[in-house]
Amino acid sequence: MSEYYVCTGCALLCDDIEVETENGKVKTVHAACRKGVARMKGCIDSLECTVDGEKTDVESAIAKAAEILGEAANPLIFGHGNSSSEAQKLSIALAKKVGAYLDDTSSFCQGPIIEAILQEKLKTCTLDDIRHKADVIIFWGADPSNSHPRHLSRYSYFPRGKERQRGWEEDRTAICVDVRKSETAIICGDNRFYKIPMGEDAEFMDALVSALSSKVPKTSFGFDAKKILELANVLKKAKFGVICVGLGLIYSLKDLEPLFRLMDKLNEVSDFNIMPMVGQYNMRGFNQNLYEETGCINRVKYSPESGEAEHGPEFSVVEALRNKTVDAALIIGSDPLSSLPLSVSRYLAEIPLISIDPCRNLTSSRSNVTIPCALGGVEYGGTAVRMDGVDVELKKIIDTDNLPDVEILKKITEAI
Amino acid sequence: MGFGQFLASPEIKLKVVTYRDVFQNTAQETSRFGEEYERSSAVIKLDLKDIAKLTIKDGETVIVKNSSGKVVVTAMKSDYEESHAGIAYMVNSPWSNSLVPDETGGTGVPKFKDFEVTVQGAKGEKVTGISEIF
Amino acid sequence: MANVMEIYQLLPKTNCKECGKSTCMAFAVDLLARKVSVNDCPPLVNDAKYKAGYEKLSEMIAPVGEVTETGLIVHEDKCIGCGNCVVACPVDVANDPLGAGSGKAPTSDKVIFKVEDGVVKARNVQECRRFGENKILCVACIDTCPTKAIEFV
Repeated sequence: MSEYYVCTGCALLCDDIEVETENGKVKTVHAACRKGVARMKGCIDSLECTVDGEKTDVESAIAKAAEILGEAANPLIFGHGNSSSEAQKLSIALAKKVGAYLDDTSSFCQGPIIEAILQEKLKTCTLDDIRHKADVIIFWGADPSNSHPRHLSRYSYFPRGKERQRGWEEDRTAICVDVRKSETAIICGDNRFYKIPMGEDAEFMDALVSALSSKVPKTSFGFDAKKILELANVLKKAKFGVICVGLGLIYSLKDLEPLFRLMDKLNEVSDFNIMPMVGQYNMRGFNQNLYEETGCINRVKYSPESGEAEHGPEFSVVEALRNKTVDAALIIGSDPLSSLPLSVSRYLAEIPLISIDPCRNLTSSRSNVTIPCALGGVEYGGTAVRMDGVDVELKKIIDTDNLPDVEILKKITEAI
Repeated sequence: MGFGQFLASPEIKLKVVTYRDVFQNTAQETSRFGEEYERSSAVIKLDLKDIAKLTIKDGETVIVKNSSGKVVVTAMKSDYEESHAGIAYMVNSPWSNSLVPDETGGTGVPKFKDFEVTVQGAKGEKVTGISEIF
Repeated sequence: MANVMEIYQLLPKTNCKECGKSTCMAFAVDLLARKVSVNDCPPLVNDAKYKAGYEKLSEMIAPVGEVTETGLIVHEDKCIGCGNCVVACPVDVANDPLGAGSGKAPTSDKVIFKVEDGVVKARNVQECRRFGENKILCVACIDTCPTKAIEFV
């Protein structure tokens, strides 16, 4: 035990994991959190290779998948957050080849924040910067204790860093803004928890901007102005601040303008950065890879004739399914029938559907073609991008008979 | 057969906020079709006042529905100290997602964390299984 | 958390000595410290009239695999393996400043907390600041736990 592996349980991509194996299986995992361990040990419902519900060999399944995608006029390729960057790039090329709608989970979660970061509309930093420097950390609509269990211990609150040598009690202030007292809010403490009504994040942000401008902050929901002024004072004094943006905040904002206003003000009076609390381990990788290729992070439709990419909300997975504008779908490492509103995703079962995943899920159980793939970071390596944009090299731990998704995608593309 | 069965259980309107839970997420990694995933997912957390209004007990099943869908889940009292009557919490799962409306205003983003449902006691009814959701 | 009087009230209070202790109060003290288990009281287990007390106590005294010498208990069913205690424990910081103290997996055998299979395990408890001659009431591991998975009895 001296080699470190990377956990792919979430986009923290913890790279200090030691693993003991036995009979070709992961037996004991050191340092990973509860959910990371479950990811690395793998699921109990392995996906089988099938076409129309009948077991088959992988070559036949790949041939059928190629046939479906080749015949479709407007196929959808969706997933990608649990794939290596290498696989994502092949997926982008495949979408271009068949003129597909191409999207990922960021489309209905962290997308707007990642886009603003890549377009340099929001100032950001790395997780290591946070560990070494951050003295004021705001978890806004985020509950990393449940979504990214090691966020606070590895980076944002408890560890010692170069400029944070004295421990969290003296050196750091953790603040939580949320509609409910989450487990993260409990750790921040009652004095540092700001409970706001549902959907009022924008107004609270503007009140905070007022307070930072030494004006009396007012909210329609009567939040104690003294408490907002006191918060503003803490933020003003920050040497290196960070706002960790969770889904609670993103879903509450109609657009990012209130966040831009707050960040502008904070960077006038202090130094603040944004950290997107990305869920799937390589969602940011997909956004960056597509951005390099098209200038868009998601929601793309390739023209089958010109190969040009169009971008817009109408090409998002949600609108494409709602409007039934796609006529076949390839799902890679994702389970939209679980993660999207059923009212939207139900349509997937009406069209030719292909699933590539290590495990059985609701989407695979409705798929015409299912192709099992190796589990990223455990059964094959590759590159992934951490939530802060840092590249992380994944390493294979154990063998499998399943092909990695990168191989499957290559073969499907060749067969079309 | 008593008269009681003809009296409909009270029905109340609630707003649902969804959230993440590490134990449920762990169960999901292991098996989406397992008992543990259902036990940790098919739950609605209610304020004590709403539990009283529904005339149910902690741990009984309830029917949660709206125009998007209908599921039977276990009602549990929430652990929050502060009262949140009128607001219920559900962990993000296929059960909550079967109730999320498809309205997006063309933005591509459904309201995962803010939708309305009606809740009604379903004494004795079994929780909707994952394979029955679809 | 339970106190000794609450436990005592649920015991038979007959001082029958079947457990080997001289009084029910002595048993209650040991039960609180997890030195004995609820099942070590024969009348409580066997006599139907103590059934309610038995059930209540079984619930109250959460079964724990191991109680360390400092009385530190990790409730493994509640632990999420976040490692907050690993990184916050002052002993871990002192003994492994570049590993545990810096947020990473421990690199020293002298740390008290290590996460294994997603759950924290305590060892080297003699190093805990709540133990020994110069003991102090340190709560670093308790205060930083999001799920109240650590307690001292």
